[in-house]
Amino acid sequence: MKSKIEHRRSNIASEASHTALLHQTRRHFLRTSTSGLGAMWLATTAGRSFGAAVSGAGATDRTDHAPKAKRVIFLHMAGAPSQLELFDYKPELVKYDGKRCPEELIKGERFAFITGVPNMLGPQHPFHQAGNSGAWITDLLPTFERSIDEVCFIKSMHTDQFNHAPGQLVLTTGTANLGHPSAGAWATYGLGTENHNLPGFIALVSGGNKPDAGKAAWGSGFLPSLYQGVQCRGKGDPILYLSNPEGVTQPLRRRALDALNEINRRVHRDVGDPETLTRVAQYELAYRMQMRASDAFDITREKPATLEAYGAAPGEESFANNCLLARRLAERGVRFIQLHDWGWDHHGTSVDKDCRVGIRNKCNEMDRPVGALLEDLRQRGMLEDTLVVWAGEFGRTPMKENRAGNQNKGAGRDHHKDAFTIWMAGGGVKPGFSFGETDPIGYKVVRDPVSLHDLHATILHLLGFDPKRLTYEFQGLNQRLTNVTKPSRVVKEVIA
Amino acid sequence: MFMRPLVTTLLLAASAAAGAAAAPAAERVDFNAQVRPILNRHCTACHGGVKQASDLSFIYRDQALGKAKSGLHAIVPGKPDESELVRRITTDDPDDRMPPPHEHPEGPTADEQKLLAEWIAQGAEWGDHWAFIPPERTELPSAADPWPRQPVDHFIAARLAAEGLTPSKPAPPVQWLRRTTFALTGLPPTAGEIRSFEAARRDAPDDDGAYDAVVEALLASPHFGERWAAVWLDLARYADSMGYEKDAVRTIWPYRDWLIRALNDDLPYDQFVIKQLAGDLLDNPTLDDLIATGFHRNTQTNAEGGTDDEEFRIAAVIDRVNTTWTVFQGITFGCVQCHAHPYDPFRHDEYYRFAAFFNNNADCDLRNEFPTVKVPDDPARWGEAAALRRELTEVSRQVMAPFREAASQAEWLPFEPEHFWDNKEQVDLTTAHEGGRKLIVLDGNAVQRSTYEVVGNSGLRRVEAVRVAVPLAPGDDAANPSEGFVVNKFELRLRRSGNHAPGADFENVPVRFVAVDEANSMFFSPAWGAFPNQFHPRWAILVPETPIELGDDDRLAIVLHQNQGRDGATPPVLQRFYLEVSGDPAWQALAGSSGHRDLVKRRDGIVKSLKDIPGPTMPVIRDREEFPRSTAVFNRGNWLDKGEVVAPGVPAIMPKFDPAGHPRLAMAEWLVSSDHPLTTRVIVNRVWAELFGTGLVETLEDFGSTGASPSHPALLDDLAVRFRTAHQWSLKALLRELVLSATFRQNHAVTPALLERDPRNRLLTRGPRLRLSAEMVRDHALATGGLLSPKMFGPPVKPPQPDGLWDSPYSNLKWVTAKGEDRHRRGIYTFWRRSAPYPSFETFDAPERRVCSPRRISTNTPLQALVTLNDPVYVEASQGLAKRMREHSPSLRNQLAFGYRLAASEDPEPAYLDILAAAYEDARDAYTAMPAEAAKLGGTPEAAALVIVANIILNLDPALTR
Repeated sequence: MKSKIEHRRSNIASEASHTALLHQTRRHFLRTSTSGLGAMWLATTAGRSFGAAVSGAGATDRTDHAPKAKRVIFLHMAGAPSQLELFDYKPELVKYDGKRCPEELIKGERFAFITGVPNMLGPQHPFHQAGNSGAWITDLLPTFERSIDEVCFIKSMHTDQFNHAPGQLVLTTGTANLGHPSAGAWATYGLGTENHNLPGFIALVSGGNKPDAGKAAWGSGFLPSLYQGVQCRGKGDPILYLSNPEGVTQPLRRRALDALNEINRRVHRDVGDPETLTRVAQYELAYRMQMRASDAFDITREKPATLEAYGAAPGEESFANNCLLARRLAERGVRFIQLHDWGWDHHGTSVDKDCRVGIRNKCNEMDRPVGALLEDLRQRGMLEDTLVVWAGEFGRTPMKENRAGNQNKGAGRDHHKDAFTIWMAGGGVKPGFSFGETDPIGYKVVRDPVSLHDLHATILHLLGFDPKRLTYEFQGLNQRLTNVTKPSRVVKEVIA
Repeated sequence: MFMRPLVTTLLLAASAAAGAAAAPAAERVDFNAQVRPILNRHCTACHGGVKQASDLSFIYRDQALGKAKSGLHAIVPGKPDESELVRRITTDDPDDRMPPPHEHPEGPTADEQKLLAEWIAQGAEWGDHWAFIPPERTELPSAADPWPRQPVDHFIAARLAAEGLTPSKPAPPVQWLRRTTFALTGLPPTAGEIRSFEAARRDAPDDDGAYDAVVEALLASPHFGERWAAVWLDLARYADSMGYEKDAVRTIWPYRDWLIRALNDDLPYDQFVIKQLAGDLLDNPTLDDLIATGFHRNTQTNAEGGTDDEEFRIAAVIDRVNTTWTVFQGITFGCVQCHAHPYDPFRHDEYYRFAAFFNNNADCDLRNEFPTVKVPDDPARWGEAAALRRELTEVSRQVMAPFREAASQAEWLPFEPEHFWDNKEQVDLTTAHEGGRKLIVLDGNAVQRSTYEVVGNSGLRRVEAVRVAVPLAPGDDAANPSEGFVVNKFELRLRRSGNHAPGADFENVPVRFVAVDEANSMFFSPAWGAFPNQFHPRWAILVPETPIELGDDDRLAIVLHQNQGRDGATPPVLQRFYLEVSGDPAWQALAGSSGHRDLVKRRDGIVKSLKDIPGPTMPVIRDREEFPRSTAVFNRGNWLDKGEVVAPGVPAIMPKFDPAGHPRLAMAEWLVSSDHPLTTRVIVNRVWAELFGTGLVETLEDFGSTGASPSHPALLDDLAVRFRTAHQWSLKALLRELVLSATFRQNHAVTPALLERDPRNRLLTRGPRLRLSAEMVRDHALATGGLLSPKMFGPPVKPPQPDGLWDSPYSNLKWVTAKGEDRHRRGIYTFWRRSAPYPSFETFDAPERRVCSPRRISTNTPLQALVTLNDPVYVEASQGLAKRMREHSPSLRNQLAFGYRLAASEDPEPAYLDILAAAYEDARDAYTAMPAEAAKLGGTPEAAALVIVANIILNLDPALTR
């Protein structure tokens, strides 16, 4: 089945067609804009890194090589799910359950909460093998399991942060410090969008809490702000201020915009400021966005069976609804769709926030939507060029958490930066594949370590970029997503 | 004073602008303008401050001329043929060629190669980057040309002439009036202001007095401070929340108010700098001076569970260093945290010398924001509060002084522990020998809220005092602190029976006084501790109500209650300590004296008086009075990996620094010293950028060798010098010169030909035409709609915003929408929560302000259109504007003209009125057919249609620009 991606259409008045800034790529700036933002961009690069910028991704048309993925759906499980309950099966750990942690494991290590000597904690849920690939998986994800042969696990992830906010910043922006663009901003900067009537980069947050990293998780950092993710909402206006005010109908709005644009065009004739024409174009774009975004976010247009498969319910802000929206947005050519679920922080400070009950509850919430999303994308023929990434910001310890010296009530695990599991599916990754390995208790990576920078490099590669050449000059450096100081590599082994 | 002739400066400017374009061989090669850019572009990434591949660096001349690892010299002055650099960049051998062609295919061009060779042939002269050389004035050309009105105009005119261009015509007076009113107050001119300015121009068209009068009135307006404070708040990373994950509310708005007042009072910029960086260190600082230090308390505080306070205390210090350099010196000093600067001459250790100015700040990432000051609601009581604060410091010193004196001379006998007891099962106290002393150490896990009881004996029959002493952990020192501890309460118990074990009966021994080793800490005795970290050995002395008489079978128990929580991993409980006793009767004499009792009473009275004054407390900068931290280099920027200890100081490339007095105050004074090359350039450039849209140096945040070159170097330098001399550091004087300049008075209209020639107006061929800033967009709409509240100062307000934006982890904070005039206050008073910015500000390019934001980049997006079309604030403003239009005149055409004039500060073209009138009529007709819709927007069909038109007017390009 062919995908139903909406292709770029351009019906902006010809005099202003060059200025649809929101979704332009940097090449478009270079070619066409003589003032305003485009020129700003020129000025910060021309003469100093012009060559570098253009010879980066820009030297070729759009990308460095043929992309395998056209878009990304990034599922962030804020809080950091335990790999030891979900995907990294460690039968050895059962033996150590309840035993004092050997000193050598914790000597010189820093943890978020564990102090002194904790006890070990065995896996809290049974595992089994599934699919043709025979991947080990928890019993808690029966729907997701149906797509397990599409999935590529990386069990050897590691990061350098063990607190949520900085950990999530590394996951989303490649650095624990604020002020850096998120992966979605880089992708939009590099590729633009396929749909000029919607933002190229959209963030969706499950009802409840925003991620700890806040809006920086979809921020544009030092890139111009038009590359920042637009947070869209499941309740109220999907995009802030999308609806007309009470009493203003769409025909009235149309009529008003005609008058507005007509005067602005005359102002431009008299004053000559090209930004005025840009403004005309942006008001037109806003008008179309009102129509198209409302449509894109209206899940009542889905069949009841589809809503049922996802577990989606119109009018709610939920991870299930967001998964369905992710598919609708992907269909419409949104380049980067980033979902943030929350509540995966299973410390065991209470019984419902532990690796027994807490994780089961969260798996129940996640299983159907994620499983439905993968199946839906596959059935629509979109999985092959849509990269789905599922990740927490770090992993969890094989030790049972104690906090400030006291034993926690529930069977919880502390934050752990040295080992965790993520998975990807579609978009050119090897299906039914597992990469990397941790030690018998899941504490440290023992084979094929993959850093979050490596993950970013791999995502950019799948999108068609040489990750070292997608750069932007800032503070005298050709900055890049994959970090300029620490080594990173494209994990070719996971690419189909 | 030495002055360069303008012509050579212009030539330099032109060659700088042309970058590294090859010069004819005979000409003298200019290192800074021509050579350094080539080295930076092609060489320094590998042979620079970060990497010195093959031991070669092009940052410093001695390194560039030295012998590389190969044994060869990259540069041999006068001898290009012997210079390895020349051979490497020209050779055809791909293994030798630099930069390596497989990784960097775009090496220097043939012209650049020739230029480098020529430079070496001429002697390879080096030069400091322009920004590190103090600015000098330039001789102005004679004033034959009538165009210039102000000194700055001569430079602009000369450059235009050199480029074969002429200035644009003067702007229509009201165009200048709008531009200037926004520039100075952030607001549009009122209808009355426009009218009277036009009248004054009409009455005396040849007299410039009307311009002067407007400028004086605007500079004197209380709104001046609000407009310029908004600029400074980005730099100060001001917010009403603490930042990081939890982002709880922070009360620091008195700093914002100080800023507004300081700007309105035209506090000279040198004082403005000194007070913000070191107001606390001035002689007898006023409360204002303390509030000014809030500048550097706008760093984030991390209250996320499991975060180490020491780590984030250090993060705040690092932020203070980076911000100080970005704001005042325009240098990307943050690069030097991890390594030497990649392009500029700053060495790694110099970063930490500078960090030492801030490393002894008392704040340490605590949720209570310690240290704080009380800011009385009643300004009349500010002097009283400041005096009480000073008195408290002094009296607290006096309380402890005699005890500390005695402690240094007293003889202490070891107290031998026999039994331990604690309130937590997991705690394991034992003894160990460390550093020749028997210590009580924690063997098991440190447990929050532990109480320790130590039972033992010393052989002393009459115990006059007990000392609790806490050494640092082995290997720790003032640069590498130990985990902290806090004892909240001390108890002494006496066990007289044969059964001494904890749990047995005991007699309570009242404690008269706990003398501690720190007079002004965050704890009031009897609580005592080193928190969150311990940088020095510490002690406390317990003096009992009466001396303790001990028989042979009696045992003394010392009970330590530790109730302090901490975000970090390790709870602040004692992990190693020892106990001693003294039989010296002096302790009783001290603690029992009436002098001592009076002092304690006085101290407690001051604490109460301060507490009783109504008003908020806000975080301020204060240094640790005692137990100073020492500062070490962080190897590769890692705070856990410390290198050599360094003293406070400034980089060698910068002017000499005299550390006399308090180092931080000396640093602030050094910043505004007459030979500092950057401070004045950076501020005049920032002011320029606010008025003209782009700085003379476009990269406001980077004056280093990879920042943008100045478009008008001589102008920048002249203005920088005169700001300090002629203008006496007065921002208002500087602004007066700029807004009255012929340059600023030009018409902003541009032709396609001129746009082609000077697309971004870098040559100032025309007047600036800029989009309103985030705050201005809001203020303009409210002012035009007749809604804007003139109320100034006070706690931040919460105007209407969509629901749900404040949801964040672990927070119950709610956005409670303001009532009354607080709904319509100026944008600067809107509650600024870093994790959830006010949406329309964010859409119009305001930063989050988690860190210093030196430059807003103006964008033009459809989301902005949605805000000004649909955000309820703008709907309300449209309704307000429609009402004003209706009240102005019964004639539709007059109403439309009036509304346009209010929003755009000019008269509309007749055609615009035709378009608006047609839109009105169509809307009215549509609403006549659907009166229910009309009622929702504005009442009658006519009223609703006028709201539609008012909304159009507020969204016009001339309304959104200045």
